[in-house]
Amino acid sequence: MSELRRDPVNGRWVIVDSDYPTKPESFEYEPNIIRGGGTCPFCYGNELLTPPEIEAIRNPGTGPNTSGWQVRVVPNKFPALQIEGELDKRGLGIYDMSNGIGAHEVLIESPYHNKDIPDLLNSEVEAFLSMYCRRTIDLIKDKRFKYIMIFKNYGAAAGASLEHPHTQIVALPMVPKNPMEEIKGAQSYFEYRDRCIFCDIIRQEMQEKERIILENKHFLSLCPFVSRFPFEIWIMPKKHNSLFFNMRSEELPALAQILKDTIHKLKVVFADVPYNFIIHTSPVNGSERGLEYYHWHIEIMPKLTRTAGFEWGSGFYVDSVSPEKAAQYLIEAKV
Amino acid sequence: MPELRKDPVIGRWVIIATERAKRPDQFSSAAQNLPPEKPCPFCEGREQETPPEIYAIRKNNTPPNGPGWELRVVPSISPFLRIEGELERKGRGVYDIMNGIGAHEIIIETNQHIGNISDLSEEQIAQVINCYIDRTRDLERDLRFKYVLIFKNHGWSAGGSGIRHSRSQLIATPVNPKRVKEELVGARNYYDYHERCVFCDLIRQELELKDRLILDLDGLVAVTPFAARFPFEIWILPKKHSCDFTSMDTETRINLGRIMKKVLSKLKKGLNDPPYNYVLHTAPFRRPKVGYWKSIDYDYHWHIEIIPRLTRVAGFEWGTGFYICPLPPENAAKFLREIEV
Repeated sequence: MSELRRDPVNGRWVIVDSDYPTKPESFEYEPNIIRGGGTCPFCYGNELLTPPEIEAIRNPGTGPNTSGWQVRVVPNKFPALQIEGELDKRGLGIYDMSNGIGAHEVLIESPYHNKDIPDLLNSEVEAFLSMYCRRTIDLIKDKRFKYIMIFKNYGAAAGASLEHPHTQIVALPMVPKNPMEEIKGAQSYFEYRDRCIFCDIIRQEMQEKERIILENKHFLSLCPFVSRFPFEIWIMPKKHNSLFFNMRSEELPALAQILKDTIHKLKVVFADVPYNFIIHTSPVNGSERGLEYYHWHIEIMPKLTRTAGFEWGSGFYVDSVSPEKAAQYLIEAKV
Repeated sequence: MPELRKDPVIGRWVIIATERAKRPDQFSSAAQNLPPEKPCPFCEGREQETPPEIYAIRKNNTPPNGPGWELRVVPSISPFLRIEGELERKGRGVYDIMNGIGAHEIIIETNQHIGNISDLSEEQIAQVINCYIDRTRDLERDLRFKYVLIFKNHGWSAGGSGIRHSRSQLIATPVNPKRVKEELVGARNYYDYHERCVFCDLIRQELELKDRLILDLDGLVAVTPFAARFPFEIWILPKKHSCDFTSMDTETRINLGRIMKKVLSKLKKGLNDPPYNYVLHTAPFRRPKVGYWKSIDYDYHWHIEIIPRLTRVAGFEWGTGFYICPLPPENAAKFLREIEV
């Protein structure tokens, strides 16, 4: 019998198929094979093919928009939102609209075209993660921005249009629907119990242990009890903190380590698997809801299945591998 | 400047790319590396390869599970939810759990090996609609179920399988799905404030503006929604207010078959048979004594949403619930209006 599980934060139901779990080898996914070739605007020597850089971590003595960098942030050449202008909200009959104000940046994680996170040194992962924080702190100086969304699309099947591994940073003029729902869910839990629901989840997971993949001093990686997708993974800080960019300095190396090892394990189970990850954090600039009751975390979603009509129509997800089973495969994967 | 638009029903924002918008014909579905086609268990003569039928339209009293049918409904061979058993709810620490009770049925729309419903006749499509209604009414009698979701996955990227035989799916769920609830709540809030149905207002405005109108035919309209999430997203709505799909009269069923054939043929012709999903949006079961959806007869309006799968949903959409649509719905509507079928 399959099981229905309800996400305690946003109330979403997920069907977990425990009768005939799909074996990892039977997923038909589109692997992300990095072929190279062509001119990559994110490689050394091609710095002038991107818009001028916003910020970079560079070797001493190198100038902006030249080679010799470790991490580089540039404006998205095809931005979903534009930075110039005043926010102009208006109505059109029954409809509401606004102009598309925002920032859309691309963070090139390393100069290496064919190295994903598991192939980098710990210090290299730490460098680009620290840049996530630096960019956020810089962007929120602009009071128009209420939410900073950081996410990675790895592989064409996960929506990446360029091979060279990169992360995107989008600053939005309003708090989007999904984070808002999560925050409201966490708020109603807090009002009732005076505790952060994510702290409670961490406590329960550390007790039950069966969904935990990795643990270090500051972080856990686990397959969430209510996984929407097979092999969905969350990385959560053990200490309560609602804002990603407020991470303490001793947490950063621990995050680099667990992110690298977790994705490495995922890629041992599924060679070259495309994936997305998203940093879930609290809103900013007057929308700081959830300092007490929200808890930042990273959600990693391997692209193993195709979302179909049922999911679109119902918001129900069907997970063909229980998170307990997925965690077991990931625990056993040697890195 | 890109434009942000808000869906008037559920409040979802979308970003409509205007300057870097592609031309409509640039979305034409590219040939894909599809998995090889599997032998079809849904063709006439292979009835033994499916679980026993639940419903069928048969000629001359032919016996069940043999040839001689025009349309057939069978349980899914790999159901998400199962029909046997009592509903059990339990908690485990912070988590809530229910056993997977429900129904999962496959509606085989034709006995011929035809891949796209748009290649069936209007009458056949009307027969499919009839069947949706009959099956929903039958499942309504089972008090464990709150909602029936009817949908179609056409083509590989839309979640279809290696069997290319036109069919729809039906899933009865023991809870009202989240996405459905959001829409019901949104419609009710609009009604509480305006005392009008948001969908009726939407239809009025679209008929007046006309720039997102694809077809206005026999009491039904096909439009691209103002806050389209996807290029060529299409909604089909009845002009006459009704919250419940199953209350449709015979004439409307025939007319719905006609407009669906026209719209889906336009998609097929204009975009080279793209993969798509369609989902029927209708009211949950309104049983006496439930009482929660008090004004639903007035505030909700059934419709069909068609989503061609021409772009990929990526981290941004998953993270925000915000969609980026690279084609303004006005351009999509114009393109579809001009395709002759």
